[in-house]
Amino acid sequence: MTLAVRDGVRILGHAPTTPFAGLEDAQVVQAFLDGHERAFDELVSRYQTRLLNFIYRTVGDRERAEDLVQEVFIRIYRHLHRFDQTKKFSTWAYTIASNLAKNELRNRSRNPLVLFQTIKRHWEADHRPLQFEDSSSRPDDLFRKRHLRELVEQSVSQLPEHHRVVFVLRELEGKTYEEIAEITGCNLGTVKSRLNRARNNFAAIISPHLD
Amino acid sequence: MNCCEFREKYSDFADGLLTSGEHAEASGHLAACAACRRFEAALNAGLNALRSLPRLGVSHGFGARLRHRLRGELAVRVPVVARWSSAVGTLLLVAAVGYIRWDLRESHEMRREQMAKSASGWHPAPLPLAANAPFPVPSASHIRVVRASFEPFHPMNSILLVAQSAPIAMGGPQRLDLPAVWGGP
Repeated sequence: MTLAVRDGVRILGHAPTTPFAGLEDAQVVQAFLDGHERAFDELVSRYQTRLLNFIYRTVGDRERAEDLVQEVFIRIYRHLHRFDQTKKFSTWAYTIASNLAKNELRNRSRNPLVLFQTIKRHWEADHRPLQFEDSSSRPDDLFRKRHLRELVEQSVSQLPEHHRVVFVLRELEGKTYEEIAEITGCNLGTVKSRLNRARNNFAAIISPHLD
Repeated sequence: MNCCEFREKYSDFADGLLTSGEHAEASGHLAACAACRRFEAALNAGLNALRSLPRLGVSHGFGARLRHRLRGELAVRVPVVARWSSAVGTLLLVAAVGYIRWDLRESHEMRREQMAKSASGWHPAPLPLAANAPFPVPSASHIRVVRASFEPFHPMNSILLVAQSAPIAMGGPQRLDLPAVWGGP
């Protein structure tokens, strides 16, 4: 994508490569702050998928997750000049994403729409579009794999919210304990404790279905 | 080490954060305990399945929507700056015009007052100074300040006092070159 200035308005468009592709995040951020508009595209392309998956695993609703990823980028765009460049950009981006995801879950718990979201999630599972699968595998293997995937998704969604965030950051996003502590605003001990409980709960939820 | 202790330390064990002694102890328990081996196998199978889930990609309209929102963001931001700068400019202009009008009227009134007193042959007596003042300040017992104005454009940052003695009106502005921060006795 390209972010160009036209009539005083920055415009995102598509471009095959950007000159910032080989740079570190910090250098890309600096380039954007120095007025290189395309640098923001590079940040978007680097983080959109990661943030989408993180938020999706936390809130469990794909469309809402995409909306929240947009919100993350809007906030990054709005506040990048205030970003402390001694810190990692990825940690900052995940912190914004984590806070938005937490707010979303909090709002849902106060809002009766949560019932609809739950129904919708199950409905989506039942009405998933037809997918072509590997025909070299045996049908019972395919069934087991699909069943396991659904099971795993459900197991993650059953974890308490503050455990789930830590669990996803560690197991899917590969963050260190220190990074998770910074993202979630908790101390290291809390992170370790939550992760351990999340792992234990996850194993407890999934183990009866694996036998 | 029992099962509860093992489960409590499992994360540190799995992430290699235990000391070598604790790690050996946990490994020993795992080798001996079938329940904890099942726990670890279930966790690993679940995690492998979780990591093998297809990663979601952003939808086709994601870029267009972000583009639209960023455009909105800029459209809001630019007029805000413009609006503020024009508001501040207008405010300064109004203040400047007001100050000039006020200043002209004051000097006109003072001039008229002086002329009236000159015509009647009246001359002000020198004012007695207040005791212990760091600068010549007329004693408060002899004068009554009827108007005080700060003149920011005067080279001395003067405070202009229009004073009257009690009970006879002395009138006439008495300029006191005071520091701008002087608050009076």
